[in-house]
Amino acid sequence: MKVALKIWRYDAVAGERALREYEIDAPVEATLLDCLDIVKDRVDGTLAYRKSCRMMICGSCGMRMDGAAVLACKVRMSEVAEAGHIPVISAMGNMPIVKDLVVDMEPFWGKIRAVTPFLQPGYADPGEKENIVSQQRMDVIHKESLCIMCGCCVSECNSMEADPDFLGPAALAKGMRFVGDARDQATVERLQEYSGEHGIWDCTRCYFCQERCPKGVDPRDAIAKLGAEAVRAGIDSDMGAKHAKWFVTSAKTTGWLRETELVPKTQGIAKSMKEVKFAMGLLRHGKVPPPFPPHVAKHVEEARALYDLVKHDGAQGAAGIVQGEHALSRLEHAEDGGAAAERGPYGPGSFAEPYLPGEETT
Amino acid sequence: MHDVVVVGAGCAGMRAAIEAFDTGASVGVVSKLHPTRSHSGAAEGGINAALGNAAEDSPEKHAFDTVKGSDYLGDQDAIEILAAEAPGDIYQLEHWGCVFSRNGEGKLAQRPFGAAGSPRTVYSADITGHVLIHVLYEQTMKRMEQGSTPMHVYEEFFAWRLAVEDGRCVGVVCWDLVNGGLRLITGRSVVIATGGMGRIYRVTTNAYACNGDGMAMALHAGVPLKDVEFMQFHPTTLYPSGVLITEACRGEGGYLLNRDGERFMARYAPNALELASRDVVSRSETTEIEAGRDVSGSMLLDLRHLGAERIRTRLPGSRELALTFAGVDPIFDPIPVRPGAHYHMGGIATDNWGATELEGLYAAGEVACVSVHGSNRLGGNSLMETITFGRRAGQAAAERALSAAPAGTVSDVPLVQAQRDLETLLARKDGERPWKIRDELGSSMLENFGVFRYTERMQEQLEIIVALRERYEHVVVEDKGDVFNTDLTQAIELGSMLDVAWCMVQAGLAREESRGSHSRPAEFPERDDERFLKHSVTQWTDGGPELSYKEVRMTKWQPEVRSY
Amino acid sequence: MRTVAYYKGCLASLSAKELDTSTQALAPKVGLELIELEAVTCCGAGDIHEAEPDYYLHLNARILAYAEATGADTLMTVCNVCTLNLRQANHALKGDAALLERVNDNLVTVGAPPYSGGVEVMHFLWLISVGEGYELLKGAAHKGLKGLKIAPFYGCQILRPSKLLGFEDPDKPESLERIIAACGGEAVDYPAKIKCCGFPIIQAREDVALAELIQPIEQAKEAGADVMVTPCPLCHLSLDAWQSKLRKQTGKDFQMPILHLSQLIGVAAGLDASELKFKRHVVSVSAVTEKLAV
Repeated sequence: MKVALKIWRYDAVAGERALREYEIDAPVEATLLDCLDIVKDRVDGTLAYRKSCRMMICGSCGMRMDGAAVLACKVRMSEVAEAGHIPVISAMGNMPIVKDLVVDMEPFWGKIRAVTPFLQPGYADPGEKENIVSQQRMDVIHKESLCIMCGCCVSECNSMEADPDFLGPAALAKGMRFVGDARDQATVERLQEYSGEHGIWDCTRCYFCQERCPKGVDPRDAIAKLGAEAVRAGIDSDMGAKHAKWFVTSAKTTGWLRETELVPKTQGIAKSMKEVKFAMGLLRHGKVPPPFPPHVAKHVEEARALYDLVKHDGAQGAAGIVQGEHALSRLEHAEDGGAAAERGPYGPGSFAEPYLPGEETT
Repeated sequence: MHDVVVVGAGCAGMRAAIEAFDTGASVGVVSKLHPTRSHSGAAEGGINAALGNAAEDSPEKHAFDTVKGSDYLGDQDAIEILAAEAPGDIYQLEHWGCVFSRNGEGKLAQRPFGAAGSPRTVYSADITGHVLIHVLYEQTMKRMEQGSTPMHVYEEFFAWRLAVEDGRCVGVVCWDLVNGGLRLITGRSVVIATGGMGRIYRVTTNAYACNGDGMAMALHAGVPLKDVEFMQFHPTTLYPSGVLITEACRGEGGYLLNRDGERFMARYAPNALELASRDVVSRSETTEIEAGRDVSGSMLLDLRHLGAERIRTRLPGSRELALTFAGVDPIFDPIPVRPGAHYHMGGIATDNWGATELEGLYAAGEVACVSVHGSNRLGGNSLMETITFGRRAGQAAAERALSAAPAGTVSDVPLVQAQRDLETLLARKDGERPWKIRDELGSSMLENFGVFRYTERMQEQLEIIVALRERYEHVVVEDKGDVFNTDLTQAIELGSMLDVAWCMVQAGLAREESRGSHSRPAEFPERDDERFLKHSVTQWTDGGPELSYKEVRMTKWQPEVRSY
Repeated sequence: MRTVAYYKGCLASLSAKELDTSTQALAPKVGLELIELEAVTCCGAGDIHEAEPDYYLHLNARILAYAEATGADTLMTVCNVCTLNLRQANHALKGDAALLERVNDNLVTVGAPPYSGGVEVMHFLWLISVGEGYELLKGAAHKGLKGLKIAPFYGCQILRPSKLLGFEDPDKPESLERIIAACGGEAVDYPAKIKCCGFPIIQAREDVALAELIQPIEQAKEAGADVMVTPCPLCHLSLDAWQSKLRKQTGKDFQMPILHLSQLIGVAAGLDASELKFKRHVVSVSAVTEKLAV
């Protein structure tokens, strides 16, 4: 099939960017990476990009296609080519470009190293054999351990774009990999570290990382798990944590968010005083509802009682998010729909049932 | 100058580096990729050790299965070491935090694997290589900030040639991929852990990076290679891409079917069926394909009866691969698979501590041949080898470096020579682009030196390789720049592939028997212990590769008829 | 008429009352009968999801249960964040029988109805951008918007994660553009329309949030927009109420009016001032009302 690509070339030595178009012939099963190989082999040998495994496990080939970070080896080009669309290929965002589609990953790795990315078993004696840990307990970090460090999440992170010092989704997901690991004894230190100025509470919840991740790590959920564990451990002095806790207090007292008190509860009385002028502006337009009489939801006592009940259920902290992962993992590939699902594994149109040689075939 | 320079940062390289560091040596790791991009990470099914968590097991049983699997060509003392030390090495990995799957008691889970008498393959769903490479990189990152001489990783440094002085290996000449320019990185000991060379074949599970660089480097430094003719063809590589579909699919109970839905393995390996040794399965599949019972040149791997839940928890990676690269959901449809070049049993000849014949040079992992795999490797043993022998090589390299007399300044002759050769290569304006030579090598090797080998075809292949090497002398690199010049490194890699391919075919032609993964069904269908129970040894000379032979070290087991 | 359970959420109840009044006035014109849910609470936003995730699940299960109890099969939301929260909880409960059982036990214990998975959560935007709702919308928007240049702002949680929302392509959404076209306006395109307004961290990390917030407003202005429209009251709050902070920080005075989705359609459908409640906006909407002679 004919494939056309527009690639943003970048020459670091000359400091020049240029958009170049390439048209090639590729096999119908070709991926974006295969197409780049054809361009480099047969059209322009100076094109620079990273690659290795070509099977979505090494994380080398992260790049942007039409502004969205992808793994080049995961993108099948047949649909794109059939639609006659010419995608624009460029380097990942939030990282400096070395050449063409190659970015300097050192800022990325620096942040990974900043979260102390190795097990800290403390003074626990490992013993001769393995630590005994149930599969269920290991599953707490199942998704975080899938991360291949490709950088697609970091590329698209809206917070990092606004705050380049933000630890970022990959580093925080790596942090959660350890916080949730039963064998790591440095949980409190980690949570304190990650709750700093450029940590957990810097995340803007844009969910771009979750959308772009090619492995289903769900970094935003990992950050939320860290938040849950931090709050559970009482590491909650950050404004972000206070903000979050006020939602909980609101729900179990009046049911609805107690908006007016949200500002001083988050920022503290002193800082809120500085916001008085701003608050006055909002007040004039009715944006600051008076805290009295409180806006109370009907049957709010149910919400209050629920709060006490769930405390005893044992799904505290990150477990509250992990418990939903079993159901949500089914959403990865449309299994509950689709032609294959309709006919079932052995329905009409499926491949024959297996038999051993000599067995009677029905 | 570092005490120990490790070339290659996959499982073997990183394990060696960590051990060398922990032994007290200063360590520099040279890798043409960022460490976690290394191909070890693509391993899927598991890593073998006789822990006895799933069923009764013992290192002796593990050793015997390995000896038998090697078709009796493996060195039994090395195999006994692997089997004995494997459990301790696995526990060490777990203590470092490796994310393994667990059984009902919270212990490390173990699954059945090909040609194993007892289920001893420790795993993590079907992404075992991934969790191993990440726990090793975590431990590497720890040591990158530890002590007065933290570990240094030369990332994206392409190792090209070994520097040898006074009969000792003193370092490696590298091309700095990010900034450009040649550098000589020196060490009192050098460990090569650069992996295999599946890319010599058009259909392979291997990454682009697996070109046999390390083997070629050693060859040209006068170091012999052992058993180069033995290339394992993994029976279940996805059609058409060649991507690996793990043996664990069969370990979990998957079936192999031909076009009619028949579980044909019953005819070839009536006891082990789909879990026979890999060479047996690949040969069976090829026979079925050649007999016309194929579906688009493939057999079918059927997981449907395992059910959605089991597939999703134990084999999610395989499902993802089948969906993405073949458009097949294994919950509902069987996966098209065929044999593909996967693992090289041979390599740089080493002793049980990873030492080569060149003083100061060590090797570990797929690039080395100790030999624990002989003429055929069991699934799960390769990862174990990288850890156990990576550790041993790292320790030996460090101890030697720490006890050796301090070296004087190292001559820059190898650097100057390399610079000249580089300039010659880059100066060429007219010539052939490397991809054609690469594609022709890949196709012809698959055709003439694949699962089944024939005298005439191997002879033809030698001629083809000689002709390709001729053409390679005129190959042109388009990118003349310094920054991230993979056009240059890919051209150099092609040279390594051609040299190693030549050695392989020559040794294959000379081995007049069928053993393990070397099968000559027409001319020499049987194993010939009298003439060929020995390792082939290849040495590079000006005229090309030269063959000799070496004894197999046997301790407990005498060769028997090998059937499954 | 299609009957739906109506969950207005926190902001529409209080600081964004204009969203509620305009939605309720508009609903019958687009074929929707709203059953307002009263015995419900805040959905928790990303905050309770982060601080007390098991409580978040229960609060949302309770909302879904009360919605189901009305007999409707659809729960309509008017906020991005509520939509994601409820849909996420819905998927988790519908996909895990053991989890649903435990949550239901707790709901019943406190006196709330149990949930059996019979409700689909849909944002108002989705109900009227396709199918019958869209046809009725075209008919209702009779006054038209006279080619007013409108910059649609989607924000984050109506699009991502797409496997939980899945209504449209998260990178090339069209629902707002379709509605704008149906109402006789001209949609203006700009890259930041799917990026984050910064609201979740606007108090805890104001500088970071403002660096995000400025992007859609500035780009919309440069693209020639007269007004922006958004389906999320949280985005509306930051786009509208925090514009003054942008002026303070950067010196740039955008004076960009921000409308709720229901207000935009409401103008085209001839709702009156008491239903639209433009006076509640911080950035004056007068430029728009003058242009359209509302």
